[in-house]
Amino acid sequence: MTLTHAVVALAVLPPILAALAVFVRLVLGDGRPSESTVARVIGGGLALSIVGDLGVLARFTGLAGPPLTGDLEFGDWLRLGDFVIPAVVRLDVVSVSLALFSSVLTALIARFSRTYLHKEPGYIRFFALLGVFATGTQLIALAAGLELFFAGWELIGLASAFFIGFFHEREEPIRSSIRAFATYRLADAGLLIATVATFALLGSARFSALDRAATLPPGEATLLALLFLLSAMGKSAQLPFSGWLPRAMEGPTPSSALFYGAVSIHAGLFLVLRVWPVFAASPLACAVGVAVGLTTALYATTVARVHTDAKGALAHATLAQVGLILAEICLGWTTLALVHLVCHASLRLGQYLKAPNMIHDAHRVGHAHPHDGWLARRAPRAAARVYAMALHRGRLDDRIDALFAPVLALARTLDRGDRWLRRTFSLEAPE
Amino acid sequence: MTPLATPWEILSVCLLIFAAPTVAVLHRPAWWLLAGMGGAMTLSLALGDPVVAYLVAAGGALLHAVHAWRWSRTGAVTLAVAGLVTAAAAWALASGRAADAFLISTAAIALRTGLPPLHGGVASLCERAPAVQTQQMSSAIALVFLHLRYVDHAPEVAVFAPWLIGYGAVACLLAALMTTAQRDLRGFYRGTTTMHGGMLLAAIGAAAVGNFAAALLVAVTIGLALGGLGMMITSLEERTGPARYAGPGGRAAAFPVLAACFAFFGGAGVGLPGTAGFVADDLLLHTLWLELPAATVAVILASALVAVATLVGFARTFLGPATLSLAPDLALRERAVAVLLLAVLVGLGLVPGALLEPADLLLGTPEPTN
Repeated sequence: MTLTHAVVALAVLPPILAALAVFVRLVLGDGRPSESTVARVIGGGLALSIVGDLGVLARFTGLAGPPLTGDLEFGDWLRLGDFVIPAVVRLDVVSVSLALFSSVLTALIARFSRTYLHKEPGYIRFFALLGVFATGTQLIALAAGLELFFAGWELIGLASAFFIGFFHEREEPIRSSIRAFATYRLADAGLLIATVATFALLGSARFSALDRAATLPPGEATLLALLFLLSAMGKSAQLPFSGWLPRAMEGPTPSSALFYGAVSIHAGLFLVLRVWPVFAASPLACAVGVAVGLTTALYATTVARVHTDAKGALAHATLAQVGLILAEICLGWTTLALVHLVCHASLRLGQYLKAPNMIHDAHRVGHAHPHDGWLARRAPRAAARVYAMALHRGRLDDRIDALFAPVLALARTLDRGDRWLRRTFSLEAPE
Repeated sequence: MTPLATPWEILSVCLLIFAAPTVAVLHRPAWWLLAGMGGAMTLSLALGDPVVAYLVAAGGALLHAVHAWRWSRTGAVTLAVAGLVTAAAAWALASGRAADAFLISTAAIALRTGLPPLHGGVASLCERAPAVQTQQMSSAIALVFLHLRYVDHAPEVAVFAPWLIGYGAVACLLAALMTTAQRDLRGFYRGTTTMHGGMLLAAIGAAAVGNFAAALLVAVTIGLALGGLGMMITSLEERTGPARYAGPGGRAAAFPVLAACFAFFGGAGVGLPGTAGFVADDLLLHTLWLELPAATVAVILASALVAVATLVGFARTFLGPATLSLAPDLALRERAVAVLLLAVLVGLGLVPGALLEPADLLLGTPEPTN
């Protein structure tokens, strides 16, 4: 193992190892660890991750030794005959900058939360999840193959679901957490199928193998791209999966800032950027991506204007920009999209962290009086309809629930049949 | 007898899963029964003769049936039938009928792992005695290993692969759907066990065309993750009684360690990254895609549904306004066992080759049959 391998490992592993240490201490120790201990252990892991990312940056830019770019092999995660899951990371402008960006933001949020969440019952849980999330983002940023990327993707999704249900003494955060997790998992099916299909079609699930996507028949390339897009839409809350985002605001403000302002909400866009060669080979998938992005932007900007709570309005404002970035990527303006993504993430992080103050400011300064827009002046009836749609957010959740109602009914019928069968053939004495 | 290298890695994992409930849950059977079950499992893995190994495995299943009778008659009878079917597989092997041996051995595995519609016994064990189910799963893993070692190599069994994969995937998806409809923790455990039974059958189908590692890792993961989950459910019910989903459970405040372990085992069962479940799922999906892409999609959807059901089960049991309990959290022996199982799950997730590479080497070499 070279020094470069060591710094990459330092960027990825310490946060989750710190979380694991907290878990083992909780399970095997006597009583709960103190707040300061947990904050120090996780904070230490995050600090080491930043050091690792700085080391990676130094190697990438040539500040420490000759510049290093491309795939960096760590050997095989698993090798069975011809089947190989490689442990390999990719060093390029996008991965190195995003890894450092996300590790710094996560550490900032950890520092902010030490005081913000002081004496909260879920303090330990929050910091342990932050460690899991940090490793997830590092894996997403640095992964050179779809398997490692998917591992990070899942860690982020899991941490996100638990953050949304953080205040679990109330019923609503629990429901929101389950809905967000269900959306994630169903959309993740796209990424998983695409990973397996990529391996089968291109012989490898490395991102570098996707450069050969242009050689695929158009139908296969389009199918692959649409599967990736499905997953990106779920993670980045694009229509019709936008319903979970306002519900996700149930979580604590620091996690909302990190997840739905800065990092997690942009992960879907990063996926599309990473697998861009597949989209480049499929004009149809690009068109669908543009349509989805622009429709989401239009929907979100409409809803954001009528939202009366700060975090909900911010969530939809974020969503509008995310939709635009998706459209930019799918139009092929990838550099613009990357700049837009980083600037947008930084801005939103600050806005979310300031959200409680915004409420205070609004009380102090008062609300600005809205003026009638051009639609209200020219077509008052249409404006009223748009207003009503925005108020109930297009009944997205209801429509999704209606879509899945037959599936749940089938599940209940199957369960009833199964219980009847087992009761009929049971040998147990009646209770 | 053929002299063979003993599969130490598999044997260690099986013995760990076998011993875990005995230490943690204190459902200790008579010493002769315990020694018989453990000894049969060890011998079946260590013996080099396929017929004798299968016969010993059949004897082990009968001992498990005796052990299970106290808690579940349906479960005990199913295990006894599974034992007889395993003995029939030995007979088919002895008479050189490879295809029959393959089908009979698959049926024995289906009975032991709870594949629908043969899942009545395992479902009953899951509901009445999860710890006993964990114990019998350990020797079911040994049976899967015997299957992969002795009856999966014959060329004539490849024809069954698409059928088994298709059936396993459909069973997996239907069981996952049923899991989402459960309203108590035992129902959830039954559902997830049945779903994994379908997954294992699909993996065994894929093994019939030479992909042994996926089936082995899936079996081991099921044993470790669902075994741990079963023990956590038993530990919880010993403290609070049956856990129904009638409103938020709020038990995390009283049992934080139990809640954390439950979440970890539940996650490992549905492919949590960093655990053996993630690698097992990945390996299985790649393997299935080569044979039947539709089965891959079904298994992925099933896994997603069970993941959601796991979160619902966790939320309904542990989250919500804190409920008071005088019962203590997990005792030290329970914690030690849980940490050991979790360590193996994480170890296999990070270095799956430690188990799979030697096993694949052993399984890749066909054994001479009688």
